[in-house]
Amino acid sequence: MAQKKGIAKQIRKVFNVDGGIDILFFAFLMAILVIGLIMLYSASYVYAYQYTKNHDSAFYFKRQFIWVLLGIAVMYVISRINYKTFEVLFALGGTAVSWLLLGVALIMPAHNGTHRHIYIGSFQFQPSDLAKFALILTLACMLDKYHEAIVNKKPLQSNIARKVNETFNKPVLNYSVRAILLMGMVIVIYAGLVIAGSHLSGTILIVCIGVVMLYLGEVRGKWFVAGILAAALVIFIVFNTDLLKGYMQDRIYAWQNKDYDPLGARWQVNQALYAIGSGGLFGKGIGQSTLKHLYVSEPQNDMIFSIVVEEIGVVGAGIILILFGLLIWRGVVIGINCPDRYGALVAMGVVFQVGIQVVLNILVATDSIPNTGIPFPFFSYGGTAMLVNLAEMGFVLSISRRSKIRR
Amino acid sequence: MRSTGLAARRGVIVMILIAVIAFLACFLRIAYIAVVKGDEYREKAEAQQLSDTTITASRGTIYDANMNVLAQSASVWLCYINPARVTEANRTKVLSVLSDTLGLDVVDLARRIDKNANYGYLKIKGEIEYREKTALLEQVRENKLTEVIFVDPDTKRYYPGSSLASTVIGFTGTDGNGLYGLEYLYDATLTGTNGRIITAKDSYQLELDNAYEVTYEARQGSSLVLTIDNEIQTILENALATALDDTGARNVYGIVMDTQTGAILAMANLPDYDPNSPFDVLYPQLTNYFEVNGTDSEKEDPVAAARMEQWKNKSIADFYYPGSVYKVFLVSGAYEEGVIDENTEYYCVGTINIANRSIKDFNPTGHGYETPRTLLVNSCNTFAVTVGQMMGQELYFKYFQAFGFTEKTGVDLPGEGSPAVGVTYHDPAVSFTLSDLASSSFGQSINITPLQTVTAVSAIGNGGRLMQPYVVAKILDGDGNPISVTQPTVKRQVISPSTAATVASWMEDVVKDGTGKNAYVAGYHVAGKTGTSEKIGAKDDTYIGSFAGFAPVNNPRVSVVIVIDEPQGANYSGGVIAAPVAGEVIEKTLTYLGVEPSYGDGEFAVKTAPLPSVVGMPVEEAKEELAKEGYEYTVRVIGEGQTVVAQVPNARIITPVNGVVVLYTQNNLEKEMSVVPDFSGMTVSQANRIAVGAGLNIRISGSASGESTVIAYKQDVPEGETRESGSVITVSFRTTSGVHD
Repeated sequence: MAQKKGIAKQIRKVFNVDGGIDILFFAFLMAILVIGLIMLYSASYVYAYQYTKNHDSAFYFKRQFIWVLLGIAVMYVISRINYKTFEVLFALGGTAVSWLLLGVALIMPAHNGTHRHIYIGSFQFQPSDLAKFALILTLACMLDKYHEAIVNKKPLQSNIARKVNETFNKPVLNYSVRAILLMGMVIVIYAGLVIAGSHLSGTILIVCIGVVMLYLGEVRGKWFVAGILAAALVIFIVFNTDLLKGYMQDRIYAWQNKDYDPLGARWQVNQALYAIGSGGLFGKGIGQSTLKHLYVSEPQNDMIFSIVVEEIGVVGAGIILILFGLLIWRGVVIGINCPDRYGALVAMGVVFQVGIQVVLNILVATDSIPNTGIPFPFFSYGGTAMLVNLAEMGFVLSISRRSKIRR
Repeated sequence: MRSTGLAARRGVIVMILIAVIAFLACFLRIAYIAVVKGDEYREKAEAQQLSDTTITASRGTIYDANMNVLAQSASVWLCYINPARVTEANRTKVLSVLSDTLGLDVVDLARRIDKNANYGYLKIKGEIEYREKTALLEQVRENKLTEVIFVDPDTKRYYPGSSLASTVIGFTGTDGNGLYGLEYLYDATLTGTNGRIITAKDSYQLELDNAYEVTYEARQGSSLVLTIDNEIQTILENALATALDDTGARNVYGIVMDTQTGAILAMANLPDYDPNSPFDVLYPQLTNYFEVNGTDSEKEDPVAAARMEQWKNKSIADFYYPGSVYKVFLVSGAYEEGVIDENTEYYCVGTINIANRSIKDFNPTGHGYETPRTLLVNSCNTFAVTVGQMMGQELYFKYFQAFGFTEKTGVDLPGEGSPAVGVTYHDPAVSFTLSDLASSSFGQSINITPLQTVTAVSAIGNGGRLMQPYVVAKILDGDGNPISVTQPTVKRQVISPSTAATVASWMEDVVKDGTGKNAYVAGYHVAGKTGTSEKIGAKDDTYIGSFAGFAPVNNPRVSVVIVIDEPQGANYSGGVIAAPVAGEVIEKTLTYLGVEPSYGDGEFAVKTAPLPSVVGMPVEEAKEELAKEGYEYTVRVIGEGQTVVAQVPNARIITPVNGVVVLYTQNNLEKEMSVVPDFSGMTVSQANRIAVGAGLNIRISGSASGESTVIAYKQDVPEGETRESGSVITVSFRTTSGVHD
C-alpha cells in the first residue's frame, strides 16, 4: 500500500491528474488558431504559388497546419505536467539551453547579415523564440524564490554591506537589491546574446518581457523610474549616434523620413499601409487582397496583419484584437487565482508576452514605430515560433488545472 | 496569487490597464489608416499596380465585305535588356550578340546601355520578325545571357492592300493604338483587353527572376467587317488615280454607296498614303503644294503638312460647293411642294437679275423655252434661280435641311465635318438674303460634304428615303462570332416616291442627253447630275468639278459621287472631268455586281451582241452561223483543218456585230497577231472601222452614241502594242460638247 501511495504521489508530482483545464482560455486560443490558419492560407497562397517549386499554393498553409497539430500535441502534454515539480529545473535548463543555442546561432554563418537562426539543412530555428519562454520561466522562478527578500528588504549581512549601510544610515544594500540586480543581470545577458545576433526586435521583446515580469513580481518604485530613464537614454543614443548597424539605422531613418527609401527600406511598411488603407471598414472579403499579389513582401510573415485588415477590414481586426484581449484576460484570471506565485507569474507572463507581440506587430504595420520584424502570434508563418507559443499555452493550461477559479 | 497581498494585485491591474490602452491605441491606429487615410492609400496601391508590365492584346482584324483582310496584326517580338545586369564580364558578349543578330550599331548600343546602366529595363528593338528572334534567342542561350537579354511577344499592324482604302481604315501608332480612321474610331473595340504581368518591386527584385510573375493572359480584340468591297474600292481608286493624273487636280474624292441601304461600298481620297508606313508622303505634289501655297508654318515644314493632308478623309471632312448638282435637290423640293410641275415653263435668255445682281448661264445666249426636265438637262442657272425665288427662303431651307445638309450624316467614321449656320449654310431664322437664295439655288455659297451629297442623291434614287451611311457591317468577337450587325437606318422620308421617280427620270435624261453624257453607260440607265463650282477664297480661278448619280434608274444599286478639286487647265467642268470617272466606276461596279444590262433602241452607234459559240462546228457551218441575220462578222480562218478548234473572241463576249472573229482549225498553230491602232479623237463608228481593219474588236466604254462630238479619249491597250487577232480592246468615249454647266 505504502508503495502504491508512493507511486501515486510520484505521479501526482509529475502529472496533473486532477482539475480540468480552463475551457474559456482553450476556446479563445482555438478561435485564434483557426482564424490565424485561415488568414495565413489566404495571405500566403499567391506568394506560395509564385515562390515554391511546384507552384504549391498551400505550401505555407500545409506546413503551418502540421506545426499547429504538433504544437497542440505538445501543449496537451505540457498541460498534463505538474509545472511546480520542475520549477527550478525549467529555469536552469531553459536558461542554459537558450544561452547555448543563442551562442550557436552567433557562430553560425551570417544570413542576410544577421545571426538570428540556427540552420540544420533546410530547417531553421530561431533560438530567441525559445529564449523568450525560458526568460519567463527563469524570472518567474527567481521572483518566487526571492519573494521574501524582494519584499522585506533585509540588509545584507556581509562586512562591506554593513559598512555601506552604516555610511548611508539606510539599508541601501539589502537582499532585495541583490535579487533585483541578479535578475537584471539575467535579463541583460539574454538581451545581450540576442542583440549580438543583430536581432533588434527580439531584444526589445526580451527587455519588455523582463520589465513586465519584474513588475508583476512586485519590484516597484525607483527601479522603474530608473528603468524608464535608462530606456529614454538608450532611445536617445540610438536615434542620434551611429552605434546601430546600418540596416537598423536605415529603418529608423526611413521611419522618420517617409520619403527615404534606400533599397526599399520603406517598401514593406508602405505596402502594409496600402493594404490596411485598401481594407476600409469591412475589408475586401477573405481571399480578395490585391496587395498580397507580391506587393506586401512575404505576406505570410510579419506583415500578415496588414493583409488581414485588407481582407476583413477594421471590424475583422477589432474582432481579432478582442479575441487576443480575452485570451490575455483569461490568462490573467488563471494567474490571479493560482495558489502559487510561480504559476501565477508564468501564466501572466506568457499572456502578456503574446499581448506585447501583438501590439508591437501592429505598431510596425501601421508605421507607428520603426520597422522591426516581430511576428504576429498564431498568425505569422513560422514553425518553431508556433511550437514555442503553443508550449507556453500548454503551461497556462496546466496552471489553469490548479487555479481556483470560480466556475 | 490568493496568498499574496495588494501590491501584486495592484501590479496586475496596472499591467491590464496598460494592455487595454495599448490594444485600444492599436485599434484606433488601424481604424485611422483604414478609414480616414483609406482613400489616399488605396489610390497609391492602385497606382503602383498600374505600373505593371502589360501584354498587348492581339488587335482585331479589319475585313472588307468579302472577308478579305484590310488590316491585321501579326506576331512580332521586341527585345529588351536589363542594363543593371550588364557586367564587365558579359558586356562584350551582350554587345556582340545584339549587334550580330539584330543588326544594330555597336557604338550606339554601348552608349544606350551606359546611359541606362542604373535601370532595369531598356528596349533594344521592336518589330523583330520570327527568324531574327529565333537566332537571337539561340545566341542568348549559347552565351548564357538569359538573365540579361529578354524577348517579349509584341504585335505589328499589317495592311495587305497598302494604300487601298487607307483614308477610311486609318492606321495605328507605334504603341498599337489607332490614330486615324476606323483604327481610331473603333480603337476600344479592336484593342481587346490587355494582359498583365505583375512583378514584385521590393528590394529583392534583383534576386527575382521571370519565373516569379503573375501573368494574366491577353484577350484578343474584336474584328470589323466593312461594307467596303475591295473590288469596288479598287475600281474607284483606279478611276480616281487616272483622273488625278489627267486633270492635275489637287484632290479627287469618290464614294460608291449602296443606294438602298446607305452602306458605303467604296470611299477614296487621292492623294492618299500607305498605312504600313503612314509617315511617307507618297505623292510629291502634296509637299510641293504646301511649299508654294502653304501658310508660313506649312511652308516651314511642308512634309508635316502633307502628312496631315494625306491622312485626312476629305470626302467626309471637307466641305465644297456642290454647284449645279444641288439643282436636283432644289427641283425635288419645288416639285414636292407643288411650286413647279412637269409642265412649268420658263424662257431662258441666259441671264437674270436678282437683288441688283446679274446671274449668267454658261450658255450666254440662253436655253430658250424650258421645263424642269430641261432645267436639269441643260443645267440652267437662270431657271434654277427662278425656282429658288418661287420657293422662298423658308421652303428652300426646308429641303436643304430635309436632305441632311444641316447635320452630320452620322457615318461611323471619325472626323466628319460639322455643318454650321452662317458658315456652311444660310438659315432664314438667322440670315438668308435673296442674293444668298439665288446663289444657293445653283449650289454656290452653300457648303456640303461629298458624303452628304451621295447620301442625298441616294434618297432621290431610292424613293425618297434619307439613309444613314455606314462603313462597318459587322463586329466579330475574338472567335469570329458576330457581336453586332449593322442594320440600315432610315433617317427620314425626304420626298415622296413619285417625286423621287420623276426627278430620277429627269436625271437619266441629264446623262442621256445633257451635261452628264460622259457618265453614260450603255444598258445601265445612269441617272445623275454634273456640277462645277468656283472656289471662293484665297485663290482665283480654282474650280471643283463633280458628278453625283445612281444606276440603274429604275432600281438603283449604287450611287456615286466624284469630286475633282482644283483641276488644272481649261477642262474643269464636272461634265467633262468628273462624269466620265463616274461612268467608268458605275459601269465596272455594276458589271462586278452582276447587274444585267438592259439595252434600249439606238443606244449604240455600233450594234453589239454576244458572240455565238462555233467551236466544234465544221468550218462552213461556223461561217454560216456567223453570217446569220443581224451578224456582219469578218471571219478569218487559220489552219488546214475541217473543224473549228478555237475561236477569238470566245463565245458570249460582247462585240460589235460587224467585228472580227478568228477561227483556228488546228491545234498548236502560231497565233495571228495584230498591232493596236491609236483610237484617240475618233467617233464610235470610226473607231470600230479602224479596229476591224486592224483585225481587232472594240468594246465601247462611256457614251456610245453616234454623235460626232463623242470621241475616244482612252484605250486600255496602248497604241503600237500587239495582241492576238480578234482580241477586244476597250475604248472609252466622251464628249466635250454640251456638257458644261
